[in-house]
Amino acid sequence: MPYVELKNVTKRYGNVEVINGLSLGVEEGSFTALLGPSGCGKSTLLRMVAGLEEITSGQCFIAGSEVTKTPPAQRGVAMVFQNYALYPHLTVRQNIAFSLSLARVPRAVQDERVGRVASLLQLEELLERRPAQLSGGQRQRVAIGRALVRDPNVFLFDEPLSNLDAALRSQMRVELAKLHQEVKTTMIYVTHDQVEAMTLADRIVVLDKGNISQVGSPLELYNMPANRFVASFIGSPAMNFFPATVSGKSGRDVALTLPGGHSATIISRGDRLADGGVEVGVRPEHFKLGDAGGAGAAFDGTIGIVEQLGNSTLLYVDTAAGQMIVEAEGNLQVASGEKVGLTIDHTRSHMFGQDAQAI
Amino acid sequence: MSNVSSNAAVAKRRGPSWLGGVLLTLISAICAAVWFFPLYWALVTSFRHDDETVKSFGLIPENPTIDGYLYVIRNSNLPLWYLNSTITSVTITIVAVFMAACAGYAISQLRFPGRQLLWWIILASFMIPVPALIVNHFVIIASVKLLNTYPGIILPMLVTPVTVIVYKQFFDSLPKEFREAAVMDGANEFQLLLRVFLPMNWGITTALAIITFIGAWNSFLWPFLAQQNEKMMTVTVGIVAVRDSFGVFYGRFMAGAVLASLPVALAYLIFQKRVTQAITLSAGIKG
Repeated sequence: MPYVELKNVTKRYGNVEVINGLSLGVEEGSFTALLGPSGCGKSTLLRMVAGLEEITSGQCFIAGSEVTKTPPAQRGVAMVFQNYALYPHLTVRQNIAFSLSLARVPRAVQDERVGRVASLLQLEELLERRPAQLSGGQRQRVAIGRALVRDPNVFLFDEPLSNLDAALRSQMRVELAKLHQEVKTTMIYVTHDQVEAMTLADRIVVLDKGNISQVGSPLELYNMPANRFVASFIGSPAMNFFPATVSGKSGRDVALTLPGGHSATIISRGDRLADGGVEVGVRPEHFKLGDAGGAGAAFDGTIGIVEQLGNSTLLYVDTAAGQMIVEAEGNLQVASGEKVGLTIDHTRSHMFGQDAQAI
Repeated sequence: MSNVSSNAAVAKRRGPSWLGGVLLTLISAICAAVWFFPLYWALVTSFRHDDETVKSFGLIPENPTIDGYLYVIRNSNLPLWYLNSTITSVTITIVAVFMAACAGYAISQLRFPGRQLLWWIILASFMIPVPALIVNHFVIIASVKLLNTYPGIILPMLVTPVTVIVYKQFFDSLPKEFREAAVMDGANEFQLLLRVFLPMNWGITTALAIITFIGAWNSFLWPFLAQQNEKMMTVTVGIVAVRDSFGVFYGRFMAGAVLASLPVALAYLIFQKRVTQAITLSAGIKG
């Protein structure tokens, strides 16, 4: 039985439906990321679990109890906000102990629990400072400490790292992962950053326009996207897409005619393949560079822009199917304007039908 | 070479800026003198003999005297009026500011039927001058037999729409995450107001309290109508009443005026640093 469960949940603001009859289960102790573009309803979903948004219809369960109408403080959840929401007039110690002081927990117990949290998050030296005297990363740790001190059943994170610079974000990702390993509490984490979701979560829920597009582990989503939306959203640089026509089938091998007249064979996932047009998706690292006009090449093209990233090289190649992004080895020596041939890794390419579902 | 030219450019920029500073200081000094002179004149007059007041226009009294002060203290109910003013002003300040904070919080943060209508009523009441309501106040207070009592003075002065408006705008400006974080922590509405929202900017409360206190202490029209009993009068009403009994004695009258305004001046001088400090601190609130 899921630890956090949403059953057929709908959220409407006036006539606008933000969440459409969504059902989702989150296992105890898991780190689940709600991932999607802005406006997909991921924060609304999290806030409904927190109790900060009313559920228009449907039910919410935490630890087996229905909490649909339960006030936020009684749900056993703690939330870390995007802008930290630290009380500026209180010290770090008072911020962390705030919920305990509201609950009239004895002072000695407050001090003990604040000390434990401060030690876990390396905040001991900062306890008497005010939020304005802290760096972004320190504020974030205090916000996490404020949630941690309540010893909640579920942690909710609403884009907690989006206000940090790239280096600090990377550092905080590691700290959050370590924290989850230590406390082993169920965590639900909202983000629009697929890198955060892929690196932190053991399970990702991809949301699109208030619906679940796919649920799976980071590698499942990356290697077996259920539809075009997930395929395009997961992975950086994004997957290349181009149209193709089915010219023959043999078991799960599908022969395709590509723009420009070349052909390629791709392995389909099942039998749901219809004749006619499909859309093919190839990740940048699943193209192989070769000579222009070489045997087996799916496209011939001309290198436009070359981005040397050190560990890899990104090539923007103009082909008959449009511009393709190709990820090649880091020390590749190529020049803009050079003619190349692109071969597809047919075992790791994807096909999508007219309904944008993977086939 | 480029350093030299850039230094010259800086010096050129500094020239007019320095001159502007001097001009600004001069204008400020003139304005301050114009504002301060009547106060100074009242103070000087309170230390003069009355015959000197009508004959001399010197800036310093020729034969300073505290007769005016001694007379006012010995021959009026000034200590009692001080007490009355203190009781009414402090009560009005505490109750009016607290009520305004509650009202501003409710209108800003709570969702209830009629909230918007209430807000418009408060805005509209802000536009009605107090003298226009005086007759109504008098009739109501008289009908509940509260004339010549403390509640009679205090009650009509508790309604301060401008304070509600200031609080409402302040609470509106706070990110909603503060409220949500406190709600998640288990705070009820009173705890939210008293432990989160108000302490975030004591500068506003301090400033509003001082303004309300000064307004209450200096108020004249309503206390003048509400108190006919000399023992229930406030300072501002009392000194006007005794002026008539003194006759034309400028020294005594000015001594009474100085004594009446002394607590207000002291209150501002004492809290001035606190107001400045609180506003400076609150400017750093970002969350």
